[in-house]
Amino acid sequence: MKLKHSLFTRREFLNGLLGGWLGALLASFLYPVIKFVFPPTREPDQVILPFADFRDMSPGSVKNFLWGTKPGILKKKDDGSYMAFVGVCTHLDCNVSYLEDQRKFFCACHDGWYDENGLNIGGPPPRPLRRLFLSIEGEDLIIKREGGERAEDQ
Amino acid sequence: MKTGIQSWLDERFGLSIITKFLKEKTVPQHKHSIWYYTGSAILLFFTIQIITGFMLVFYYKPTPEGANESVARIMTEVPLGWIIRSVHSWSASFMIAFVFIHLLSPWLSKSYRKPRELTWMSGVFLLVFSLLSGFTGYLLPWDDLSLSATKVGTDIPRSIPLVGVWVTKFLRGGEDVTGDTLTRFFGFHVSIIPVFMFILLAVHIYLIQKQGMSLPLSAEAKKEKVREIPFWPNFVYREMIVWLLLLGILFSLAIFFPPSLEKAAELMAPAPEGIKPEWYFLFLFQTLKIFPAKIFFLPGDTLAVLLILLAGILFFSLPLIDNKPAERKGKIITIIALVLIVYAVVMTVWSLL
Repeated sequence: MKLKHSLFTRREFLNGLLGGWLGALLASFLYPVIKFVFPPTREPDQVILPFADFRDMSPGSVKNFLWGTKPGILKKKDDGSYMAFVGVCTHLDCNVSYLEDQRKFFCACHDGWYDENGLNIGGPPPRPLRRLFLSIEGEDLIIKREGGERAEDQ
Repeated sequence: MKTGIQSWLDERFGLSIITKFLKEKTVPQHKHSIWYYTGSAILLFFTIQIITGFMLVFYYKPTPEGANESVARIMTEVPLGWIIRSVHSWSASFMIAFVFIHLLSPWLSKSYRKPRELTWMSGVFLLVFSLLSGFTGYLLPWDDLSLSATKVGTDIPRSIPLVGVWVTKFLRGGEDVTGDTLTRFFGFHVSIIPVFMFILLAVHIYLIQKQGMSLPLSAEAKKEKVREIPFWPNFVYREMIVWLLLLGILFSLAIFFPPSLEKAAELMAPAPEGIKPEWYFLFLFQTLKIFPAKIFFLPGDTLAVLLILLAGILFFSLPLIDNKPAERKGKIITIIALVLIVYAVVMTVWSLL
């Protein structure tokens, strides 16, 4: 039945109401399912490491640390300052290694190369390695995601 | 003659509809009928996967601490464990090889033409799930190689605009490949993927029974009737000969070339050199490897992934695109198919060099 000035019949109206309600019900079931499937993993804002572990590194060498669920790489430069990277290739996420004799970072998965400052110089990597920010406060080596100086002269 | 139990069951299930159908089913005989045997070969390997999979699950531990060790235990301590794993691993390769062969037949003989479009499409989904099954299974031994391969494989969808990041997160169970990924892949491998495959197989096989075997265009064009043999028992017996042959090859390979097991994966260790995915992903692997970092202004990996995705969508909708198989368009599509096959083979060989 349709009233004279109505845009839709009573049945259409009720079907729409029911359909909308069912849709909303389904959405309210799907929401927790989707929430459940994606676990909350955030990369850390900072990690604090005992500086004593890294003080005696020889210049030009690297040492690994844990950056959340990724490997971090701390590199001591020739002038004694430090740089920190996320040691993950920017191409397809493999862990990179540092070849000390060649002074390059290398990703074995697809033959990707970075220079000693993490700049992509060969193979498929589209971007330089991600730099992290580091500072030394007392006995602590603090490595941060962002903010602060990219304190290379510490 | 029906026994008492048979007629008792039939009264309740009504199974005589199916047995009557199978008795009357025929299979055409022509020079291309060898393709008809590829489907049941896949079913054979799928069944082996399920049985050996059930067995492996009795000993396998899907945790980062236990996985590698439990596979090592299956290989060394469990009575005949090594051969069960070896058969599972080889049968996976055989199954996927036959899936590739099986999909060439409707592609080259155009049997996906009306009304068999949905048979093709359900088949493409089965292909995707077979590949996913192989991909998720590859991680389960949890060694260096499988970890790196999984990192790369799960990072590939990231380049898809909008949804990519979420797909990667969904597959990994977080930002990175961790122990959570292993648990999740185990779940995909042993329950989620098989359930979908069973449903798709039911649809696929139903459609084939509903529509009967397709004839190649050349056989269809001839006026005289094509010779047919009964499905039961003539065709089934011939299939069984093929199965016995394949089983012989499978077990021989499984006994003489069991799969290796590297040392347990370390999440923070650099990727080992010479990582390779399973052979059926090599052509994609090589494609990704040769794409430069930048093409014009676009990042190369994004472009490669988008191209692969586009190719997948075109492949899925092939019956709709190739709607005039006997005409020029159909012939061009056949040539493209042949070019793509050559491309896949060349890329695979190149990546092995």
